[in-house]
Amino acid sequence: MNSQHLSDEAVAAFADGVLAGHARERAARHSAHCPECAHAVAVQREAVWALRSAPAPSLPVGLVDRLRSVPITTPVTTAPSAMSADGFAVFSTFGTMAAAALVPAQKPARHNESHRLRPIVLTAAAVAAAGLLTVGSDGQAATTTRQPATGHFTGFVSNTGSTPGNADGFVEGPGVVPANARLRIGP
Amino acid sequence: MTTVDSGPRTAWVPPTWDEVVREHADRVYRLAYRLSGNRADAEDLTQETFVRVFRSLAEYTPGTFEGWLHRITTNLFLDMVRRRQRIRFDALPDDAGDRLPSSQAGPEQTYDEMHLDPEIQRALDALPADFRVAVVLCDLEELSYEEIAATLGIKVGTVRSRIHRGRVLLRQALAHRAPGLRPAEPGVSAAGEASTS
Repeated sequence: MNSQHLSDEAVAAFADGVLAGHARERAARHSAHCPECAHAVAVQREAVWALRSAPAPSLPVGLVDRLRSVPITTPVTTAPSAMSADGFAVFSTFGTMAAAALVPAQKPARHNESHRLRPIVLTAAAVAAAGLLTVGSDGQAATTTRQPATGHFTGFVSNTGSTPGNADGFVEGPGVVPANARLRIGP
Repeated sequence: MTTVDSGPRTAWVPPTWDEVVREHADRVYRLAYRLSGNRADAEDLTQETFVRVFRSLAEYTPGTFEGWLHRITTNLFLDMVRRRQRIRFDALPDDAGDRLPSSQAGPEQTYDEMHLDPEIQRALDALPADFRVAVVLCDLEELSYEEIAATLGIKVGTVRSRIHRGRVLLRQALAHRAPGLRPAEPGVSAAGEASTS
């Protein structure tokens, strides 16, 4: 069967070393004598090397803060109470998401600020629509704790320590979700 | 994930949200960046992925977290691409539209991207989205063909052929790159392969 070239799929799999048994033997035997297929295999490997040699993008610090704050940026009790002048939803508890407090001060160039706010706003609206989650810290009586119809989902973030939060029970500042807050999943 | 390891436990301990973020944000962002090719979209995709995770934690079963994240990120990316294609390339068939240039690069973005390998990212960006997803999941996220097939809901054969095609295009786009990436001498690699098998 040496005369028959390797299929594209076999070339990729052979280059990745995931062919086994007979298929592997055949691919090795064939490409040893077929410059065309040998080259095709080499091309696959070179592409992989090139990709893997590229440094990985690093996580922007501001993004980490926003991800950490996802549980509190998605209140279910509220639709945006107002729109700010630049078109962003304003939540009564957080203002425009208190984004300024979340983003490290040393970062220059805030041109992208408006861009960054958008997903947060969408987020809050989406979760509000889902109506499943309630977030707060201890002492806060959630205003609308609704059980999902199917679920075993009893609560979300609870603060097991005592937090000198504001009157609403939300923690302010960069460490938005208390470090000891634990997600509760289950009955 | 430090807290979860601490102490022997038989039952699964739900991670704190901070742990979820610490553990997975890096990888999700990296995937989002490789797929979308720019920081703004990568941030959006990452954030939206975590929002979905947050909203769906009730359905999460321990052990599938990474696969779950890959699936969410990838699907959000493909949705984004299709949405943009629908808007601007209504007339073209699915695979025809390479990704659109995204929002304009601010100073931060330019700075950020100079720390990557712009050539390689550009070569990735030039791949049709379906090929790019397959290649990125395989070669950068190092998922198996089967995992990729499950992530995308396609057959393994399709995964293989997309990976093959994507790499060929990628290699072509990088053809001018010198050492380590010269076209192989015909036969040389095959001989090496034969001897190792």
